[in-house]
Amino acid sequence: MSVEASPMAIPISADRTRRGSLRLPKISRSVLLSTLTVAVLLAAWAVVTEMGWANELFLPKPQAVWAAFVKTMTKGYQGATLLQHLGASLYRILVAFALACLVGIPLGVLMGVSKNARSLLNPLIEFYRPLPPLGLYTLLVMWLGIGESSKLSLLFLAGLPGIVISTIQAVTSVDPVYVRAAQSLGATRRHLLFHVYLPAAGPLILAGMRISLGFTYTVLVAAEIVAASAGIGWMIWDAAKFLLSDVVIMGLIVLGLTGVVLDLMMRGIAKLLMPWSRI
Amino acid sequence: MMKRLVAALAVATFALTSAVRAEDKPAKITVGYLNLVNAQLVTKHLGLLAKEMPGVDIKYVKVGGGGDMLRAIAGNDVDFGGLGNPPTAIGATRGLPIKGILVINLLDYVEAMVVRADKNIASLKDLKGKTVAAPFGSTTHYLLLQALKDEGVDPASMKIIDLAPSDIAAAWLRGDIDAAWFWEPNLDKAVKNGGKILITSGEMTKRGYPTWDIGVVMNAFAEKYPSYVEKFIKAECEGIDFWLKNPEKTAEIIAEELSLPLADATRMMKGTGMVPCNKQLTEDYLGTSARKGKFVDTLVSTADFLVKQERLPKLLPRADFEAFIQPAYLEKVIGR
Repeated sequence: MSVEASPMAIPISADRTRRGSLRLPKISRSVLLSTLTVAVLLAAWAVVTEMGWANELFLPKPQAVWAAFVKTMTKGYQGATLLQHLGASLYRILVAFALACLVGIPLGVLMGVSKNARSLLNPLIEFYRPLPPLGLYTLLVMWLGIGESSKLSLLFLAGLPGIVISTIQAVTSVDPVYVRAAQSLGATRRHLLFHVYLPAAGPLILAGMRISLGFTYTVLVAAEIVAASAGIGWMIWDAAKFLLSDVVIMGLIVLGLTGVVLDLMMRGIAKLLMPWSRI
Repeated sequence: MMKRLVAALAVATFALTSAVRAEDKPAKITVGYLNLVNAQLVTKHLGLLAKEMPGVDIKYVKVGGGGDMLRAIAGNDVDFGGLGNPPTAIGATRGLPIKGILVINLLDYVEAMVVRADKNIASLKDLKGKTVAAPFGSTTHYLLLQALKDEGVDPASMKIIDLAPSDIAAAWLRGDIDAAWFWEPNLDKAVKNGGKILITSGEMTKRGYPTWDIGVVMNAFAEKYPSYVEKFIKAECEGIDFWLKNPEKTAEIIAEELSLPLADATRMMKGTGMVPCNKQLTEDYLGTSARKGKFVDTLVSTADFLVKQERLPKLLPRADFEAFIQPAYLEKVIGR
């Protein structure tokens, strides 16, 4: 949401648009509108709870959620502070996501370049992709136990298909003219891969990675339900058992904001690695 | 737009509430029952509830443990439920709209802590560095922490993890955990696979930490259909009477409901304490409307413990727990 508003974007867009003088107010308007949405939500929340329209058990006051945030930051929730919970979750997400990329991108390139590979592997990917994560998880727990490996595997499996499928699409949509041009200039397979396929397919692959990171993120709470003792997802799940709705809501807000930050980081990385991509 | 939405909602709410008021018979009731060995299985198996309430659609929902039951109640997913004293203390403190109306069972050795026989665990002190499982928010999680505190063992010296009873059994078979405090019918799977019982919930009762399950009703349901609360209690009391009078037949029913060998079902049955309904109104249990019984004391001390564990924000006055226990419906059923 705020990438457009980043200082880097201003000179570029000011160059591109003819109505350069109108550019600044336009940006602040989009920021203003976004702020308005947040403000209206917060105000509605405050009004509803202050007027006593909502049972505090289900919707605690914003102050209570803030107090829960401060308490969890300083004193912690059940043996770990908020940052430790967040760290445990981020570790799981990033490790699983990195593994999904390491496996998914080469697999996707292979399946995109070779029809045989695609035919061989497609049934597997297509079969497990629509399986609900919780159903898969019961099996993973039985196979791999209740430790980190089953949690990482679940997150990995949640992230993998998105990357594979978008990489296949990215590679197959590379204009064959580029490939033939490079071949006629004597490019080897290696050259083709690193100088034609990957640069041309890069932006689409990155888009797939962003979607896949989001997917991994949505499975986090499910992964931390079984036998975790730290993690934001676990904290939310545990607090719900003790009806601590202020902690639940605080955890959800932290989860949401962290997700936004992760996505922004992905976009930043995309801009750095592939300045030609329009993510 | 907003106004119209509000108006539409108001009309819809009015239509719904007036439709409910027009009949004093619920179309459907949902009973959440704990996956446990007690007379609720008998009531369910013999269809006693259906006999009391002809024409009412009765739905039974099996719930894994107290924490899940609290969520079901908070989400208004059940009309009747069952809760152990720790989740009851949590629910009452957090202001869940429920009342305790009936003693479902007392917990003896139907709940116990099982440890791996080959790990040389002779006392709670030997649990240091081990992995221990319990369903968080339940009676056994409470007893585990209480027992550790009594023996001066720091809970942080071991890894205590939250697992549902069925997951504990699976994790035990895989060798992921060294000890667990939970209940039948899953407890037996651990005992039969290299486990031995270290301490039972019954022994904790003798140490002054009784645990029990109480039947609860949603306040809104009780206000709308008070006579159906009595019918529910009557059916459950018949189930309890059947349990007490026909142990062999009850064991057969339990064996069938839980797909267990008869011998196991018989043993598990004996680990559960059933209180006949007329005795429930005495000092040791619910007490009477005029003079509430010892269940209130248990709730107060359980809540106090949970506050010290930082699981509850503050300890409510005794009167709030007295208000939670409502023997009035049972009194009517017994005829006092």
